[in-house]
Amino acid sequence: MTYHLVVGDPRTVARVINMAHRFQCRATRVDSRSTDDVTTADFEFAGPQEQLDRLRAQIDRIVQFEKIFV
Amino acid sequence: MIPSIVPRPKTGGDAVLEALEREGVEVIFGYPGGTIMPFYDALYGHPMRHILVRHEAAAVFAAGGFARTSGRVGVCCATSGPGATNLITGLVDAMMDSIPVVAITGQVRTGLMGTDGFQEADVCAITQCTTKASWLVTDPAQIYTKVREAFALARSGRPGPVLVDIPTDVLKAAYVDHQAPPRKVRDAKPVATRESIAAAAEAIRNAHRPVAIAGGGARDPKAVAAFRRLTSLLGLPHTTTIVGLGASDPADPHGLGMLGMHGTKAANLTVKSADVVMVFGMRFDDRVTGRPDRFVPDATVIHNDIDATEFDKIIPASIALHGDSADTINALCDELMKGHVPRFDDWAIQAKAMGGPLARDVAKDGHLSATDFLDTFFAAMPPDAVVCTDVGQHQMWAAQRIRPQTPRDFCTSAGLGSMGFGFPSAIGACFANPGRHVFAICGDGGFQMTMPELATVKRYQVPVKIVLIDNRNLGMVRQWQELFYDERYSATNLSDNPDFCTIASAYDIASFRIEGPADAEATLASFLAHTGPALLHVSCYPDELVWPMIPSGGVVEDLMESKTA
Repeated sequence: MTYHLVVGDPRTVARVINMAHRFQCRATRVDSRSTDDVTTADFEFAGPQEQLDRLRAQIDRIVQFEKIFV
Repeated sequence: MIPSIVPRPKTGGDAVLEALEREGVEVIFGYPGGTIMPFYDALYGHPMRHILVRHEAAAVFAAGGFARTSGRVGVCCATSGPGATNLITGLVDAMMDSIPVVAITGQVRTGLMGTDGFQEADVCAITQCTTKASWLVTDPAQIYTKVREAFALARSGRPGPVLVDIPTDVLKAAYVDHQAPPRKVRDAKPVATRESIAAAAEAIRNAHRPVAIAGGGARDPKAVAAFRRLTSLLGLPHTTTIVGLGASDPADPHGLGMLGMHGTKAANLTVKSADVVMVFGMRFDDRVTGRPDRFVPDATVIHNDIDATEFDKIIPASIALHGDSADTINALCDELMKGHVPRFDDWAIQAKAMGGPLARDVAKDGHLSATDFLDTFFAAMPPDAVVCTDVGQHQMWAAQRIRPQTPRDFCTSAGLGSMGFGFPSAIGACFANPGRHVFAICGDGGFQMTMPELATVKRYQVPVKIVLIDNRNLGMVRQWQELFYDERYSATNLSDNPDFCTIASAYDIASFRIEGPADAEATLASFLAHTGPALLHVSCYPDELVWPMIPSGGVVEDLMESKTA
């Protein structure tokens, strides 16, 4: 599974990696860049499909929390 | 003590206070310490009410109780290191049950961070996965901004806790006049599409045996009104999760009570038999579904939630209604009223008939059954009361019996199941609901986790009434040991409990004692008539179990109503 993450908080990258491992998945590639305001990261994950789906949903939730600010 | 009137220069601590004032905060629950001292210094002599608890865990539980019973954001504060880490359980508790709480923590000074300094803990990292957000503020000009944004985030969309961690040098820094304005918040409420609403209405029109379930997302008064509108419009059998209790009109004959592991037989059998299951603001907790693939395998599931993450997480949604529960249910009612409005009264009567009276154990002669006592208590309790519970058997017995007017009248730690929650959350509920009766129903195990808060009750004369169901055991764990671990009662015996009435007396708190069935009603009446804080110690039969019970991971066919059936 791949995920293109765009967030304000650079710590989210570490959080996503932690979450992946907790869900019995692995982050097999992480390419992340940060400026003062924006962090982007491209992930590749491996793991059971059901767990990857759960991971995607949880990352989506984190992104939603950040999106409430205009 | 009269606060000093010696003028002092304003600091970052004042910026925190200004943000709290701007958010309308009137009370905060906290415990001071080294790094948070600049904030406490600003608080000195300030009209904002600070409630000094006796452990930071109580501060965050009280903030949670405040929020759960009022719908407003609960606020707590603590110092760095142990103060902050003692908040963690309550923050997770708030996250699990979607409760808006803001925690302000002190942090070691900026230059000390990363040196394993005294009382240093990376609380932002620790809470990253237990809050909606945790922010470290290193710029004094950002303090006001970040605290305000924490409130916005805590209450937006699916509510939850937010932590703001501020190093002590930033709190001490000279107040910055021109604090950056908080970022604007976009309307976080998604709206279910017209197509999805129409599909849901069509599924309901084609249904033969529908049922509605209200979860924590239907706690808001508008959602409660909408849920009641839908159920009465259709004559619909309906049930709730433990946090949704009160969403159903207590007078509605089609209400089936609580769903799940210790829910009613009628609720569980009805959901199992339903061909259309409408779910509002519920996340399909494993205590509700048991074995998910057997929960509602053949039903059309109409799932409404404000958080899209919940769709298909546990149970596949046949129709997903992504939106606020109040708006979505009202839109669904409006859509139904455009055409044929089906009625399901006959099915609702059948559904109710699948249940019957709650199963219960019978206490030995001379012993008081906790369920008998709670039946008497709920019959005698003022109808406008707020009830908070701790976690365990008494929690389930209370949830099975209480008929709250609204979900905010019943406050319990549901998702996390945090023992020690009940008593401090009731303290918070008292501050959120002045003039109302507030009861803390606790077990002997959980009460002892936060019992020192009797000092808080004494100091502020918090008018909480504590109902202590004492069976001298960690009853729920013991129940599982009895049923599933061959009666190997490992570490659940509390037969050496202290005399709780004596302890209450040490804090000048009135206490009442029920030793058996003979004195229960009269003593309860005296307790209820007492003005001010009081503790009622109820000595109960230790072998009573919670029935019915669907064993963990089980299905409704596994429902037990006694140890042998």
